[in-house]
This record gives sequence, C-alpha cells and structure tokens, in this order.
Amino acid sequence: MKEKVITFSFIFIIGGFFLLNVITPDKDVSWSERRTYQLFPEINWKQIQNKNAMNSFDQYALDQFVLRDTFRSLKAHVVFNLFHQLDNNQIFVKDGYIFKSEYPNNEESIKRFIEKIKKLKSQYLLHNKIYYSIIPDKNYYLKDSIYLNLNYDDLYQTVREGLSELEYIELRDVLSLEDYYHTDTHWRQERLDKVVTRLGQQMGFISSTNYSEKIYKSFYGVYYGQAALQLKPDDLVYLESDEFKNVIVDNYEKESVLYNIDKLGSMDSYDVFLSGSTPLVTIENPNQKNGKELIIFRDSYGSSLAPLLISSYSKIILIDLRYMNTKAMEKLVTFKEQDVLILYSTLLINNSISIKD
Amino acid sequence: MLFSSVTFLYYFLPIFLLIYFVIPSKGKNLVLLLFSLFFYFYGEPKYIWILIFSCIFNFYMGKFLEKNFHTKKATYLFIFSLLVNFGLLFYFKYTNFAIRNINSILGLNIPILQIVLPIGISFFTFQTVGYIIDVYRGKVTCSHNILHFATYVTLFPQLVAGPIVRYQTVEEELRKRKTTYETFSKGVGRFVIGLSKKVLLANVLGECCNAFMGLSVPTILSTWLHAIAVTLQIYFDFSGYSDMAIGLGLMLGFHFLENFNYPLIASSITDFWRRWHISLSSWLKDYIYIPLGGSRVLRWKWIRNILIVWFCTGFWHGAEWNFILWGLYFALLLLFEKIFLKKFLQNHKVIAHIYTLFCILISFLIFNGEGLGNIGNEIIHLFDFKNLPFMNHETLYYMRSYGVLFMIAVIASTPILTNFVNRLQNKKWIIWVEPIYYMGLLLICTAFLIDASFNPFLYFRF
Repeated sequence: MKEKVITFSFIFIIGGFFLLNVITPDKDVSWSERRTYQLFPEINWKQIQNKNAMNSFDQYALDQFVLRDTFRSLKAHVVFNLFHQLDNNQIFVKDGYIFKSEYPNNEESIKRFIEKIKKLKSQYLLHNKIYYSIIPDKNYYLKDSIYLNLNYDDLYQTVREGLSELEYIELRDVLSLEDYYHTDTHWRQERLDKVVTRLGQQMGFISSTNYSEKIYKSFYGVYYGQAALQLKPDDLVYLESDEFKNVIVDNYEKESVLYNIDKLGSMDSYDVFLSGSTPLVTIENPNQKNGKELIIFRDSYGSSLAPLLISSYSKIILIDLRYMNTKAMEKLVTFKEQDVLILYSTLLINNSISIKD
Repeated sequence: MLFSSVTFLYYFLPIFLLIYFVIPSKGKNLVLLLFSLFFYFYGEPKYIWILIFSCIFNFYMGKFLEKNFHTKKATYLFIFSLLVNFGLLFYFKYTNFAIRNINSILGLNIPILQIVLPIGISFFTFQTVGYIIDVYRGKVTCSHNILHFATYVTLFPQLVAGPIVRYQTVEEELRKRKTTYETFSKGVGRFVIGLSKKVLLANVLGECCNAFMGLSVPTILSTWLHAIAVTLQIYFDFSGYSDMAIGLGLMLGFHFLENFNYPLIASSITDFWRRWHISLSSWLKDYIYIPLGGSRVLRWKWIRNILIVWFCTGFWHGAEWNFILWGLYFALLLLFEKIFLKKFLQNHKVIAHIYTLFCILISFLIFNGEGLGNIGNEIIHLFDFKNLPFMNHETLYYMRSYGVLFMIAVIASTPILTNFVNRLQNKKWIIWVEPIYYMGLLLICTAFLIDASFNPFLYFRF
C-alpha cells in the first residue's frame, strides 16, 4: 500500500506540474520580482551547439514554473521557520518591516562618491552655495544588533571629512524607522515634515504649505516581492496642495506632472513621485516670485521630497547622475548661482559605481 | 543536465518515465539509450561523439579481446584499448595541466589549448576501462549486444557523476529487469533523499562557506566553521548525487552498489576510505593496487603501491596540484596509520574519531582550496591565535544564521535518522507519513530550486 502511495504521488507531482507548465500560458514579466521573465527560447542548431538554447530553456523552466511565487514563498518559510536563518537572499523581516542587508562598508565606493562630488563642485558649481546631506537607509534604525549592517558612523565620518568644504545637513536625528515604508526601501513623503524643516533651517527657507493627503492602498514595495512572504502592503500617501496646480514639470524635455497617478498600481507605485527614475526633471512654480532656484543632485529618495520644497523656490532642477553623465548635464543645465543640494542615500554612497562620470 | 534542476525533474523525467513504462520490455533499453544520449547532449552537445565513440570502440574491443582470449594479439589489443581510453581522458583532462607545468619548469611559453573537459569523462572512462580489463582477464564475458552495452555506458542515472558501475553489476539487469511498486517507491525515496541532501543541505552549506570565506575580518572560529561547512558540503553534494543515481536506477529496475556509508563517522582514515566514494576506491584497488601486488609484497613495494594508488586517486579528481596533494596526504596518513597507529586507534575510539574528523577536515580544505599558498594559509588560520581574533560580530551572525542547518547536517551525516526511520517501519501510520515526508521534501526542494538561479554539482568538474 505504502509503495503504491509513494509511486503514484511522485508521478502525480512530477507529471502534474509538467502538464501544468505546458498548458499554462507564459508570462512576460514578474511584478513581484520586478523583472522580465525568460520566454521560450529560439531553438536552432547554432543555439544548441553553443548551449544557449539549453541555458535559456533552463531559465525559462524556472521563470515560467506554475505557482512560482508560491514556491518562492515556501522557500522563504522553510529558511526562516525551519532552518531559522536570519535572512533569505539577504532579506529579513523585523517588527513588520522588510529589510535588505547592506554590508559591509565599501570604502572604495565611498571614496569614489566623494571624488565625484568634488569633481562636480570644481567643474560646475564654483559659484553656488552647496549643501549636502546623507539620507540614512532604514537599516540605520534597526534596533536588533545581531544583523549585519553598515558601519554608519564610519560612513558618515568619511564623507564629512571628504566633503568638509561643503555645508552638511544632518538628517539622522529627524528621521525614525516609522518614516519608512514597511515593504520598500524609501521614506514616506507624508512624514518628511521634519526633514523639510531641517533643510529649511540651514538653507534659509520656511515652508508653511498646507497639504491634503491622497492615499493609495496596496503599495507593494521593492522588498515585498523579494521577501516572498505574505505581509501587509503599505499605504502610499502623497501630499497635494493647491499650489501644485500651477506647477510646471518638465521631465527630460517632456511635459510631466508632480504625481503621475498612472504609476499607482504599476510595477513600482513609488514612481508616482515625478514619474520615477529619470535623469533630469525641472519643476517651475509660478506662484513663487522670489526667483530662487535650487539644483538637487539626487537618487530616488529625492523624488518624493522635491514636491515639498517647491513652495520655497521658483524653480527646482533635479539631476540624477545615475542616468545622466556630466557631459549631457553640461548641455542641458545652465549653472548660475543657484542653491545646490546634494542628497544621496547611504545605499547609493555605498554602491556609487552607478553614478556616471 | 542536472538532476537537481527543474528541467530534469519536471520535463525530462516525466516524459522519460511515461515513454519508458508504456513501451514493451523489448524496447526499454532503446528508450533508455536515446534518453541517456539526449541527457548527455543537453549538457555537452559538442562532445556527444566521444561518448558514442567510447560505446562503439569498447564494445568491439571487448568482442575482439574475447575472441582472441589468452593470445598475444589480445594483449596488444588490450594495450591499444587502454591507450585509446586513457588517451582521450588525458587529452581532455590533463593536457593543459601538463603544458602549464612544462612552461613553468622549462620556462617555455607553449600556448594553453582551448579544451573543455567533457562532463563525466572520468566516470565513463573508468567504467569502460574496467570492462575492458575484466574481459581481458576473462572475469566477465563480453557484451554481444551493442544496444545493451551502449545502454550500460550511457545510463543517465550514473553517467555524469557516478557511482562507477561495473559491467557485471548490471549485466543481468541489462537483459532483464523488473520494476515493481516496491523497487520504484524505494527508488523515489532514495532519489528524494539525495535531492534534499544536494538542494537543502549542500547548496545552503555552500552559501555558508561563501559567507565565512567572505568575512571582512576572518576569525579562528569562522575558519573552523568554514572547514566544517566545506566538509559537509562536499559530502552531501556527492553522496546526494549518488543517492539520486541509485534511486533512479531502482526506479528503472537497476541495483547499483552503494557509494557512501556514513564516511564522517569513520574511526580511522582506512575506515573512511571504506565508506567514501566506495566505487572509486574499490576500482583503484582492484585495477591498480592488487595488480601491483597490493600489500603482499616487500615493504618498500607496498609503500610504492600505496603512493601510486593515492596519487591516482588525487589526480583522477582533477588536474591541479591540490588534488595530487590531497591524494598523497591520504597516502601518508594511511601509511602512518597502518604502521604506527592501527592498534592505538582500535583501543581509543573517541580519540580515533576526533583524529579522523580532523584529518578529513584538513583534507577537504586541500581538496577545495585554490592554489597551494591559499590552502596553507587556510590551515594556518585554524590555529593562528596570535593574529586572528577568536570571533567577531560577523562570525556570530553567520553562526546564528546557519546554526540549525549545521545541526541538521551533522545529524544527517550519521546513521541516527536512518536508524530512527527504520524503527518506525512497523507502525501503521507510516503508510501515510512516509509518502507525505518524501513528497513534502520534493516540493521544498522544488521551491529552493525555483528560488535559486545557479546550482552546479561540485563533482561535475571531475
């Protein structure tokens, strides 16, 4: 009896999944993993000879496996609940927040970052008042000391020593873990009032705009899919103001908006802020007549912050050096005597290879 | 193709089993041969001709040898077939090693050849050479059916990573074999256990090894944990593959001999080699050690025989000096044991186990190491209390993270679990619990495979 049960259940599982894999239509993209899936490979003699066909088929079989996300979830549960490992693919959950381990400090990367900023200053920003700040990633606020984390004190100190001629704005003390999404790496726009106040204190502006909250339920952040665990999604709140109605947004020479609500419910709903990653965005505020302009060199954290600064400036230019090199920047941006804010997260500073020359 | 791949488990295997069991008995070997060739072709399309050549060449050589049994012609043919088989192995596996060493010793600049090692060549060469030797000696009658012989050489369950199956082991089953629910279900159980050893233990231990190797500051504790993890990883990787091969064989009605017998509980290095990669050590014993005279010769000749056999063992594993060093390390340990330690180890069981485990641990650092300098450093680090901290935060993190895995792996490397399961066989509920256990493991392994992207077997490089 036992022999028959084992035999038929084995055949049922391998045969059943084979049939399901064959009859289930292939998917182009994975929303949970935020990547495109391998489709059925082209098979010809050349592709077979160089084994590309086989390698692609192996990847195809993995990517298109039915219930792929469920299996990934099963794996995560086994890793955490059976093996009691502290992370699964460097992802771990603590107090309802999903974290991705970033470790250790990449000294070369930190130095490269400093050099790039220095070069930027000496080539383009000779007549500007330059401020810089480092956004701590949410692991900074992780209370459990067992996890491997960046040595933040060293990182901050190295950057501050390297950029001592620029004015530094400390943000660590005005943020807390609650200011970040549970399922995403980014900070929450609706909780950045203290950050805006701190920036204003040092950069010389006072922001007193009244905002109304717009809420998008079911925000599945970048870590949600990687964790492969059934956790509660976040609420994504974006702040609207009457002042924003007249704001003109230019996204790399195309008309755009502060909040691109088409992005809500897309692969990355955080792209609602300034339409996501983009090399160059210009925001003009006709209501603000002070003529002040601000250039922000930023990563994705800056997208949700910029709308909160626009009431204090006539124009904000956001430059993302991950997507634009300085030669292109030279052609598109005129450097005058604008205020400059260099605003990067610890994650980017520790992986500065992505900043273009 | 890897056994531990979705392609094998959920495409190749169901299609193969369906056709294999639907087709009448007469056609089963043909189906097995075709699928085995496809299995090999999928992983090594360029070198399929070597496998096909090996089948045809050794089949006819066997016939010629038998026809000319006990004649001079047979000896010439025998030498010729050894030269061809080993020639292929040496060309693909050792040419660049030889060039590198000639360049280094003579200061020459002979260009390295663009040679890729065909998967499994070490295994199927040893199988065919064993067959040729046995036919030449008259120990087995040669195969008269090329389909049977080619099926034996290419048999996909053991084709690429062993165990080294002797012709006489499966000769009868190549002609006639029976699959029952009992053999099939036993095969399933064995296969799933092997898959779990590979996917759930060896692969995760591999991650653990990388973690300990990648520490920004190594510690005494991390170097020890790394050494233990390497040992367990290699054991579960290779024994897992052997279990899968034996399990697949059983599903098809073949009974391969055991290749591992809990080597990590050995009480001496001699004992360890009776339990580790049994098919290779018995092959080397029967085809090299005994013909050289074994131990029944003058002492210096016996020492020479041991050194030759263990040099071959090391060199078989790879064309690198660390493998040769690994083999000779065991030769010295075995000589030392046989001459000085034998009685002491028999009378001091606990010390014997600690001594054996320590020697095994060092051996796998040699086996796994890259470059003799690095190996030396790794071994020195185990005792470098002067320069290395005993432990740090990183070590503690990985220790905690992989602690349960270590415990499971250590227990699984002993017969404790098997004995426990065997004791439960009479219970009524085992009828349901055992299938659930196996299928649960299969699904968990599938989950791990789906989540991972790259998953090669360590023994494939041999």
